[in-house]
Amino acid sequence: MNEESTVVCRCEEITLKEIQGTIEKFNCSSREVKLRTRAGMGSCGGRTCRSTIDRLVEQMGGPVISNEVPLSYRPPVRPVSFGILGGAKE
Amino acid sequence: MIDLVVVGAGPAGLGAAIAAAEHGLQVCVVDEFVKPGGRLLGQLHEEPDGKWVNGIEEAQKLYSRAIELGVNILCGVSVYDLQKVDHGWCVYTTDEMIESKCLLLATGASETPIPIPGWTLPGVMSIGAAQVMGNVHRVKPGEKAIIIGVNVLSVAIARELQLCGVHVESILLPQPGILAGDAAQPEKMMESLLRLSHLAPSPLIRMGGKWVSPKLGARLFPKNGFKMWGIPIQLRKTALEIYGENQVEGVRIAEVSASGDVLPGTEKTVSADFVCIAGGLTPMSELASVAGCSFCYVPELGGHVPLHNEFMQTNLAGLYVAGNITGVESAKVARAQGKVAGLSVARVLKALTYGGNEKLHSAVEEVKETRKNALIQFQPGIEEARRELYGKFDETHKKTLISI
Ligand SMILES: Cc1cc2nc3c(=O)[nH]c(=O)nc-3n(C[C@H](O)[C@H](O)[C@H](O)COP(=O)(O)OP(=O)(O)OC[C@H]3O[C@@H](n4cnc5c(N)ncnc54)[C@H](O)[C@@H]3O)c2cc1C
Repeated sequence: MNEESTVVCRCEEITLKEIQGTIEKFNCSSREVKLRTRAGMGSCGGRTCRSTIDRLVEQMGGPVISNEVPLSYRPPVRPVSFGILGGAKE
Repeated sequence: MIDLVVVGAGPAGLGAAIAAAEHGLQVCVVDEFVKPGGRLLGQLHEEPDGKWVNGIEEAQKLYSRAIELGVNILCGVSVYDLQKVDHGWCVYTTDEMIESKCLLLATGASETPIPIPGWTLPGVMSIGAAQVMGNVHRVKPGEKAIIIGVNVLSVAIARELQLCGVHVESILLPQPGILAGDAAQPEKMMESLLRLSHLAPSPLIRMGGKWVSPKLGARLFPKNGFKMWGIPIQLRKTALEIYGENQVEGVRIAEVSASGDVLPGTEKTVSADFVCIAGGLTPMSELASVAGCSFCYVPELGGHVPLHNEFMQTNLAGLYVAGNITGVESAKVARAQGKVAGLSVARVLKALTYGGNEKLHSAVEEVKETRKNALIQFQPGIEEARRELYGKFDETHKKTLISI
């Protein structure tokens, strides 16, 4: 197994190769990588791979990491059932 | 509407709850883990004076004190959303919705992964997961470990695993490349280790004194590493791949030069039944981000932290932060910050009685003092970085907040 085929986003099973390819082809931000590949969009909410994606984008010539959180967080920040969202007790 | 909701029952959250409840505030603490104590629960180490610090006992003390003061502590409950409402905050949890005048986020830090070929095999875990298995759940993660990532945290937890009866075969670097970045650089990692020298009953103390710079340190670093508590620490060896059919069977390794390049012809395999990856820690800012806080990127503090001041106020009214969410530091610093946050809330809710300002200011001093004496410093330059951060806060937000 080589570095290229290493899985970066475990929830959505996106490899380094797919992410690098996307950054190269579209010259894009973390957010665009997420929207194009689904990396960071799985059930963990990107908690595992977001820092790796940010670093890859930065190292491949994308925007430098700034004060802004690159991949924005959206609620719910934990997986929750519709019942709970609807106000039911667990 | 209660006075204060605290998210996170680690040393920061419990410390804040205690300080606030001591001033008569009605406090509720929510934590998604089954037990209170946060990352304290996993900690076990020997102080320079030979005394052992057991995090489980420390957590129990904080918990008992909070309960004694009437703090309501909910465990096994996650907070998944927040909303600003009139005169306070609304906190959405997997149990119920809670409204409070003030809200403290004390959610700690999370681990930064390093993707390594083979890291999705069963038997590969983060170093923190191994710590929780061994020290919190009392389950031995395996018999023979290899730890990938040489830093303060991995060395400290390797020692804890050893105390659990695990044989730690070696601690080595991840493969150089775009995924590992600095974590594969012997020099950078030498720098990190030198900050641990005061904790180690080991050659590092002597070496730390002898080596003028991490650069020289990495170059002179013995090819076979050196040992701490009998565990080989190998800054000149790298993990190329974790291998195994259905689960971890071992790691393919190679030697690297002082500048981190793989030396051809030095590859070999080393067997192990579990592998830990240690990529460092980063403040867990998700809820602060959902709330709409301003952020600052401060590498010395571990990454993106909510903009805040010395009194633990964020730029949003009624929203406070304390502990590792404000920057990765030791448990004692987190606890001291929690106290400041609790007193700060009491101050704003007019519950601080006579001498309150002095109390708050001396709590702020206590944080600085604790920081100075901290046994573990995760990054260099924390003090300066914090001074700069607080300066920035004052510049932009002083006028909009209730002055202290
Ligand atoms: C793996 C690891 C090992 C560490 N080892 C050491 C060590 O050996 N020595 C040392 O001094 N420091 C260590 N630290 C640093 C440690 O984080 C601090 O020492 C201290 O525990 C931080 O306190 P805290 O209260 O800020 O956060 P924590 O102790 O991390 O507590 C935060 C709590 O918030 C809860 N939480 C987070 N998000 C939510 C949510 N959305 N809803 C509900 N609950 C939530 C978590 O379950 C957790 O219990 C370690 C950190 C980690 C991650």
